[in-house]
Amino acid sequence: MSDESDEMEEIISEFITEAEESLDRIEPLFVELEQVGEDKEMLNDIFRSMHTIKGAAGFLGYQSIVDVAHTSESIMKKLRDGEISVSTDMMDVILQAVDMLRILLGHLKDHDGIEEDVSPLVRDLDTALVNAISARSDITPTALDEAPVSAEAPDAVPVEAPATIDPFAAAAAEIEAIDADEPKGPSMSDDALEAALEAAQAMRDAETSTVEEIKHDIPAAIKVDPPENAQAPLIAKATVEKAPKPKDKPQNLRVDVERIDKVMDLAGEVVLVRNRLLNISNYFDQKYANDPQTEILTETVSFLDRVTSDMQLAVMRMRMQPINKVLSKFPRFVRDMSASLSKDVELEIQGEGTEVDKTVIENIGDPLTHILRNSIDHGLESTEDRLAKGKPAKGTVKINIFQKGNQVVIEISDDGKGIDIENLKRLAVQKGIMTSEEVKNLTDDAATDIIFMPGFSTKEVATELSGRGVGMDVVKTNISSLNGYVEITTEKNVGSTFRICIPLTLAIIQALMVEVSGLKYAIPLSPIEETLKVSKDQIENITGQNVIVIRDKVCPLFELNTLLGLNYNGDKSSNSDYKHLIVISMGEKRFCIAVDKLVGQEEVVIKQLKGIDTTSSYVLGATITGDGKVVFILDVGAMSRNLLGSSKT
Amino acid sequence: MTDLKIKILVVDDFSTMRRIVKNLLKQLGYESIDEAEDGEQAYIKLQNGNYGFVISDWNMPNLDGLSLLKKIRSDPAMKDLPVLMVTAEAEKDKVITAIQAGVNNYVVKPFTGEVLKEKIDKIFDKIST
Repeated sequence: MSDESDEMEEIISEFITEAEESLDRIEPLFVELEQVGEDKEMLNDIFRSMHTIKGAAGFLGYQSIVDVAHTSESIMKKLRDGEISVSTDMMDVILQAVDMLRILLGHLKDHDGIEEDVSPLVRDLDTALVNAISARSDITPTALDEAPVSAEAPDAVPVEAPATIDPFAAAAAEIEAIDADEPKGPSMSDDALEAALEAAQAMRDAETSTVEEIKHDIPAAIKVDPPENAQAPLIAKATVEKAPKPKDKPQNLRVDVERIDKVMDLAGEVVLVRNRLLNISNYFDQKYANDPQTEILTETVSFLDRVTSDMQLAVMRMRMQPINKVLSKFPRFVRDMSASLSKDVELEIQGEGTEVDKTVIENIGDPLTHILRNSIDHGLESTEDRLAKGKPAKGTVKINIFQKGNQVVIEISDDGKGIDIENLKRLAVQKGIMTSEEVKNLTDDAATDIIFMPGFSTKEVATELSGRGVGMDVVKTNISSLNGYVEITTEKNVGSTFRICIPLTLAIIQALMVEVSGLKYAIPLSPIEETLKVSKDQIENITGQNVIVIRDKVCPLFELNTLLGLNYNGDKSSNSDYKHLIVISMGEKRFCIAVDKLVGQEEVVIKQLKGIDTTSSYVLGATITGDGKVVFILDVGAMSRNLLGSSKT
Repeated sequence: MTDLKIKILVVDDFSTMRRIVKNLLKQLGYESIDEAEDGEQAYIKLQNGNYGFVISDWNMPNLDGLSLLKKIRSDPAMKDLPVLMVTAEAEKDKVITAIQAGVNNYVVKPFTGEVLKEKIDKIFDKIST
């Protein structure tokens, strides 16, 4: 039955996602535990996650996952109950278990059918547990004997209670009796369990007729906390008051991403239709202004306009997730790195709740990891160097995330030695990436960008962790693919900051429609600082580069039709005495593009074009405009990199 | 035979588990199944809805299964509501604690649809006699 197997498929994929989320959530806790010591809440949290993963994996028949989760869970339980103490060794081996669970989940996700031998890990976990137990002197020998895994709480059954007045204690005694036949262990067989329930029920029925009476008997023999009972009405009242607003507790629904993307796609189409309707409605408004039907049309369309904007926002938010999803693995990463490099590093994270598009979540992890690795490996000095400079021995790396307008900004800063620009230049020449002539013309800002060039690594000997110069160029490529950009600011002996800016949403953007040589283009609005209308004689030429002075600042100017290779230049508007300039600002970089005409602002849906090299063609994608035409969306990021990346006049 | 129309509340913090249990219940023919992600949410739902049966996990954040059970038993409006407790191990002291708190039955993960059916039938057999 395909319905059932579909359901099973869905359950499995949900399990993988949920289990991975659990691991993401608990992983930073390990590092925190090492720092703050034993925190019962955290230990319990980890215990519960392992327990839950084990439970669900058992249903799905994933024995390896069950084994690893079970062993880890047993350790966590003992940690939580204070029977053993948190130690680095212990954390190491549990982190290995977390890694193994990820690997196992990864195999499930990839359907690769690869089996992992988890028995060495399970043995390690057991050994760690035994060691931890023997480290505790106050542990009883019996507990030691049954130390690994199977060791649960020793028999602490309150059978001593007077059986005659208490039906439950009697039931407990019954269990003891039945259980005597069972192999010695904490678990009960199903039969024993049933019998116990039976006994409890029978006693209940015989001795008392109502639950009320039973409860009356209980406090005498067994501790069913009376305060809890006393509190019950209060709680009931409080929750009744809450009841009319069921929204008090957020309800979650897991939805397949494909479905959301479909809605997103359709919302995009609706936006396009809305744009066309707005155009038509404007036309009618001008032509048949006195017709009452026109007024109705205008009203209806403007209502559609508002609803569409709201819908777009709603769909966009559906795809947004807190960036913490990506960041949660970093404390562990920094911990491992600082250990292997023998550098003392503190990681500070701010703004982890900032929400970004799902695509960003999926693609920002690698670039961030690369930058973080770079900051720790290359940015931060060794402890001796830091002390020699009078800096605190412990280096700090900060990740700060915030929303700025319709962009998300991620800053990764270290308090290390800063980037040695002269050294960068020297290496660039030495590695044959640039000529000494080219290097001479570089501004400091432009020189830091050498880091992002393919095949560049500042350390002569690449360390195991930072790789061999692959990485930083990938950072730039990955971020560009998210329509974002990255820039560096650095100061000697103070530190460096990598700043990544990414638009909030990737699918629908606000764009400025421009015209050049009779053709329409869309320019994403977010990097546009301003638009200007200048007379041609304001444009100056310095060593072959057109520039314009805007409020005392020189800004390089490029003709859009030259950039796009549009040689057709006979348009009447380009012969006018005025030019329309669009000032683009990408971080610290600023430049102008000259166009013939500004058409207006429009919301456009980016449709990706396959097989186009965006860097050389400056085309990001295409969209359909309000008047039903296909228009290219320009990639100003690529322009900025190509035009200003390596030299500046 | 248990009434297949009863409204069942499945309580578990792990949504995959809720789904697995729901799926098993559906296979057994139950039609009206609702979920809650912890004891707290479950208790609120139980106060407002007309539930005939609760299947609850033990380990949950906010309010665990045992505390939920105790709350149910001490609430006059729902003290007789049958509760089936789900856990990963049949630890003796846990079972005893659950019995003391008035659990109707107890099932150990992982379980099959048949086992679940057996447990539910037993619970309702006992209630009806």
